[in-house]
Amino acid sequence: MDTLVAQYSRPLFENEGSSQEEQLELIQTLPPLSLKFALPPIAQPSAFLRATTDDHSNPDCPIKIAHGTTTLAFRFKGGIIVATDSRATAGNWIASQTVKKVIEINNCLLGTMAGGAAGTMCAGVTPQEGPALYYIDSDGTRLAGNLFCVGSGQTFAYGVLDAEYSYDLEDEAALELGRRSILAATHRDAYSGGFINLYHVKEDGWVKHGFSDTNPIFWKTKLDKGEFSNVTSELD
Amino acid sequence: MSSPFSINGGACVAMVGKDCVAIACDLRLGLQSLTVSNNFPKIFPYGDVYLGLTGLATDVATVSDLLRYKVNLYRLREERAISPQTLANLVSSSLYERRFGPFFVSPVIAGINHTTGKPFICGFDSIGCIDFAKDFIVSGTASDQLFGTCEGLWEPDLAPEDLFETISQALLNAVDRDALSGWGAHVYIIEKDKVTKRLLKGRQD
Repeated sequence: MDTLVAQYSRPLFENEGSSQEEQLELIQTLPPLSLKFALPPIAQPSAFLRATTDDHSNPDCPIKIAHGTTTLAFRFKGGIIVATDSRATAGNWIASQTVKKVIEINNCLLGTMAGGAAGTMCAGVTPQEGPALYYIDSDGTRLAGNLFCVGSGQTFAYGVLDAEYSYDLEDEAALELGRRSILAATHRDAYSGGFINLYHVKEDGWVKHGFSDTNPIFWKTKLDKGEFSNVTSELD
Repeated sequence: MSSPFSINGGACVAMVGKDCVAIACDLRLGLQSLTVSNNFPKIFPYGDVYLGLTGLATDVATVSDLLRYKVNLYRLREERAISPQTLANLVSSSLYERRFGPFFVSPVIAGINHTTGKPFICGFDSIGCIDFAKDFIVSGTASDQLFGTCEGLWEPDLAPEDLFETISQALLNAVDRDALSGWGAHVYIIEKDKVTKRLLKGRQD
């Protein structure tokens, strides 16, 4: 019997983790410092994120992510336009009007942020791909494409962008289209607003085209160009 | 989040000045995050007494019409205009009549009593409990913000023009911190012998 037991039983944690030799090997074969990503000291980042930030699965979650946003990016012959609003809301409370939702990753890569489960966009120019644009979200979706709008105001931005978009746009027209699409979204979507953050990604890196208040832009667009005729500007 | 009081959004405020009162509201009508209209005033005149109604838009329309009907009957029967105090009691009893199935509105009244010559403002909860105040009344989805701006800006015995500036700044700065209110505003300055109505061009985001 003892021989049988010995034959079929194993120490409790025999296969847990890596052996001394395997660990050594792992450490020694790691690439040099510059290619390492810093990781949080957590077993399962996705589970941790869900437990601490997901309102649906855990209504008492300690971190309430500010939802509501409009971000857009599109590819055209002159590169990529990236534009966002700057509002952060917690429920109906406007927590900030000056959020930076574009992340400058390096001098030729940009990322955009939209809260919660909504996606992010990555825009950049690489020698292999040329101008590249990706939509990424928290459940692992990764899509390459020419045109994306993300956030609670995405539908309003798509409305303007789809109507006026063409790959052959000139730089000035493309920047104006990005600005106008965000403006439309900040007007109709209660959870978007504040400032318009505009970027142009070119072959030799990105160029920032301002962080400008929507208020003067809106009234200029309405009063000078006659758009937004739904808004009252005089008592009848 | 889906409370009937905060589906459509909106804000209203009333203030007392020296021999004058002011009442102001925003112009937004929305369905949660979607802004449907930017021309939905929430202040209704009943003679020279003014009633502001925030809350569920369908009830704002129903209650304002119901009170127009009742105030018209009052004027016919009494052969005189209704006073702000009487309108307050009429609003209160009309709302309490619906004690167990209330209208989802938060009314505000502003006016000058023409027998005493004194300014009068008051507010209500949705079942008609009257909140008499000597300084200001706030209501709507931006009421928390309005309490802050009013506490900070209001002072006693403001002249009509100063009262206009005060109530306008109070409302505009409050709705700029509320996602569901804003998109322009109406302001009424009520004096003994005249009423001035102005449009404020607020932020449109």
